Amino acid sequence: MKNKIRLKINGKEYAANEGEYVLTVAAREGIDIPALCFNEAFEPYGACRLCLVEVLAGPYQPGLTTSCTLKVKEGLEVLTETEEIRKHRRVLLELYLAQAPESQFIKDLALKYDVTATRFRIKYDPADPLGNKCVLCGLCVRACNEALGIGAINYIGRGINTKVNTPFLEPSSECIGCNACVRVCPTGAIKFEDVQDQRIMISWSKTRVPLKQCMICGKYFAPEPLTLFSYQKMDPRLEEGLEDVCPDCRRKLFSRKEILASKGIEVRK
Amino acid sequence: MKISNLDALDEIKQQGLKKIFPGKPRIAVGLATCGIATGGDLVFEALKDSLEKRGLDVYLAKVGCIGYCKEEPLVNISFPGKPLLILHRVKERDANSIVEALTKGDVPEEKALCRIEEWDHLTSKLAYGSGFENVPRYSDIPYFRYQKKLVLRNCGLINPEDIEEYIGIGGYYPLFKALKSMSPEEIIEEVKASELRGRGGAGFPTGLKWSITRAANGSRKYVICNADEGDPGAYMNRNEMESDPHMLIEGMLIGAYAIGAQEGVIYVRAEYPKAIERLELALQQAEEYGLLGDGILGTNFSFHITLAKGAGAFVCGEETALISSVEGKPGRPRPRPPFPAEKGLWGMPTNINNVETWCNIPIIIAKGGNWFAQTGTDKNKGTKVFSLVGKVDNVGLVEVPLGTPLSQIVYEIGNGGTGGKKIKALQTGGPSGGCIPASLFDTPVDYEKLKEAGSIMGSGGIVVMDADTCMVDTAKFFIEFTSDESCGKCIPCKEGLQMVHETLEKITRGEGTQGDLEVIEDLCDTIQKTSLCALGQTAPNPVLTTIRYFRSEYEAHIRDHKCPAKQCRALITYRILEDKCTGCTLCARVCPVAAITGELRKPHSINPDLCTKCGSCKDVCKFDAVIVE
Repeated sequence: MKNKIRLKINGKEYAANEGEYVLTVAAREGIDIPALCFNEAFEPYGACRLCLVEVLAGPYQPGLTTSCTLKVKEGLEVLTETEEIRKHRRVLLELYLAQAPESQFIKDLALKYDVTATRFRIKYDPADPLGNKCVLCGLCVRACNEALGIGAINYIGRGINTKVNTPFLEPSSECIGCNACVRVCPTGAIKFEDVQDQRIMISWSKTRVPLKQCMICGKYFAPEPLTLFSYQKMDPRLEEGLEDVCPDCRRKLFSRKEILASKGIEVRK
Repeated sequence: MKISNLDALDEIKQQGLKKIFPGKPRIAVGLATCGIATGGDLVFEALKDSLEKRGLDVYLAKVGCIGYCKEEPLVNISFPGKPLLILHRVKERDANSIVEALTKGDVPEEKALCRIEEWDHLTSKLAYGSGFENVPRYSDIPYFRYQKKLVLRNCGLINPEDIEEYIGIGGYYPLFKALKSMSPEEIIEEVKASELRGRGGAGFPTGLKWSITRAANGSRKYVICNADEGDPGAYMNRNEMESDPHMLIEGMLIGAYAIGAQEGVIYVRAEYPKAIERLELALQQAEEYGLLGDGILGTNFSFHITLAKGAGAFVCGEETALISSVEGKPGRPRPRPPFPAEKGLWGMPTNINNVETWCNIPIIIAKGGNWFAQTGTDKNKGTKVFSLVGKVDNVGLVEVPLGTPLSQIVYEIGNGGTGGKKIKALQTGGPSGGCIPASLFDTPVDYEKLKEAGSIMGSGGIVVMDADTCMVDTAKFFIEFTSDESCGKCIPCKEGLQMVHETLEKITRGEGTQGDLEVIEDLCDTIQKTSLCALGQTAPNPVLTTIRYFRSEYEAHIRDHKCPAKQCRALITYRILEDKCTGCTLCARVCPVAAITGELRKPHSINPDLCTKCGSCKDVCKFDAVIVE
């Protein structure tokens, strides 16, 4: 793709592709803008409000807006560090410190912007399945619903009672144990554990997903519904018989096959 | 029968007029929700019974509400050739005397509020007649004198359940004109010329919005009516739908034709059952008469309207949350752009307007954009309907030209405070509007001037407050509301409002500390500037304006632990003045917690440890012996 659009960030000109957001351009160019709810895999969400920039010129209304939702346009000029942005960022980080007091990630982020304490009441719930680390960025929800189309978790409640979890806080029958939620969570709030033949999504109402056992080495290597989910999407399909073999044993099988083949020996299964 | 030409429309108009002027007495009872709540339905039944018993030939009808809530239930009576009389505060027991008088061609004049000799429905003028000179004219009633009825032109005068009455007063003629003699571009030009701005609160120019949606690419287009009126104390839209639903439908039809939309949705809150019932009936009737559906008025324009019922979330009044809710998803706003005009319902270009905005359309087409623009001020054209509530004498729906000073609404139309009390402030724009002090009541109601005063136009609620209203408590009430109604998506609104609420709670308990106000102001600034949608962006208004205009009240709470308005329970004590108490024992009997003791005919006293500060003793004391300190 050709770089078509020129925009100015903090007075310096940069080139960008059409359809890109200011936040992604800034990240590429090494300009620091904090963000919690943005991930290029998903549609912009605009919830964490940390990636504020100030629009100076261009086809948008001048003033503060989130850079994750701001599409680059010819002639766009933004500032990423102003006294006002720093002020709001500090207040927002204070609110995050109060909302997710157990998150080291949030503490580190706040520290990076010189916020070491919060003026607001620290919310702490000893029974929180997300360990008082969730900032409701919605990445896990979007991964589960938008990206994978599984829909095991979603928002529960409204307003200050908003939480992410399974419906009715019951173990999910939809969860495939893929751990995409765990991967995208910026604060490491989602807990899981593999115990013997089961993956337990501790944060998600202790949803249990059976693990698949390798028919060669006997190791439990992946959640059973996840393997079904992925095999269905594979094209061409996995060679017959390999579905029940763990990646390690699969590698061994292939290597052996290759070595023998180099010696002119054809292997039958 | 389906109407397709002017003759057919004229014929229905004549039928409609025959119902308004039946050639015999006509009694119409105001039966919007407000009328029903005050017993209007009982009055209707009693009148029906009484008429039947006497075998009188009278045309009995239901009408909507003319907006004078304080005087309800309202009953209209007309005799051929005589003015239309509006009777007020009619009770069930009055039915017989009304019918009795009717047999003599008369009305009980002491019940008559005013007479209407002729009425300009704007789409046509009706002349009722003359007589009943002892009854004041409509224009002599201060409540009505300063009003200008464009949107409410038919409310309380025609039967909202009968499309023929709407056509009778010239309704659907603007649609006929639009479809048969105007191009979509001409309609948009007319709306642009009117300079009508969105009545939902933001004040975006309606004509411009329409032209953007018209120009947007999409295989389908939608128009939506936002009828999710959720502001506490606001009921303009409810009355517009209950009293004149066809006005809304006609506005949407004209808009859909101009924009190129095939489908319409009215998103109405489920808490408005009467509005839903009347809209459903109106939609059905409009379809029967060929005014809605396929091939409208014999043209090739087709348009369908469905009702979507909101489940009670305030935030669904925000357009992107509303669309999400119509699609069956949780009502959570999403970032704009893309605006609904580009990507709205089901990803298609969608034009959303508030009920009142749509209701202005038929008259703009009937009378022309330039005619409409004669009313109002430089940048604020037309009228605005307000619901005037709170501690004001005349409670009701008020329609005034934009630019009318708040003082005129409150003092001349509203007749000042309840019981003659001095008004301290008022709040415009619903829970996220600001409180404006009495010293600024010369502020004209227009979008910009209200904003300068720290408030917003909003959808049109005006809540009046007097010296008995604690401004800290008021701010707390509204923040609690917006905090409860926050969707929970973005942190400044979700967490920030809760923190503001908790701090205000602390202050009203007398536990506020120096520095609390600065923290609140700092936090509110961030909530306003960084929230995702208008709910969070405007929610701090009541707090910021009360701090701006009534800082001393906050300081009294924090520094002196006193509530100047004597409302915050933690900061007041009830005491009985010995020299005034006659020992009647009434207070002791009403006290729910038995905190009052004393012998008969001897001064009583309140045990402060038991007292819950409910105020029952003060309410019942006939000797003003109970005081609050």
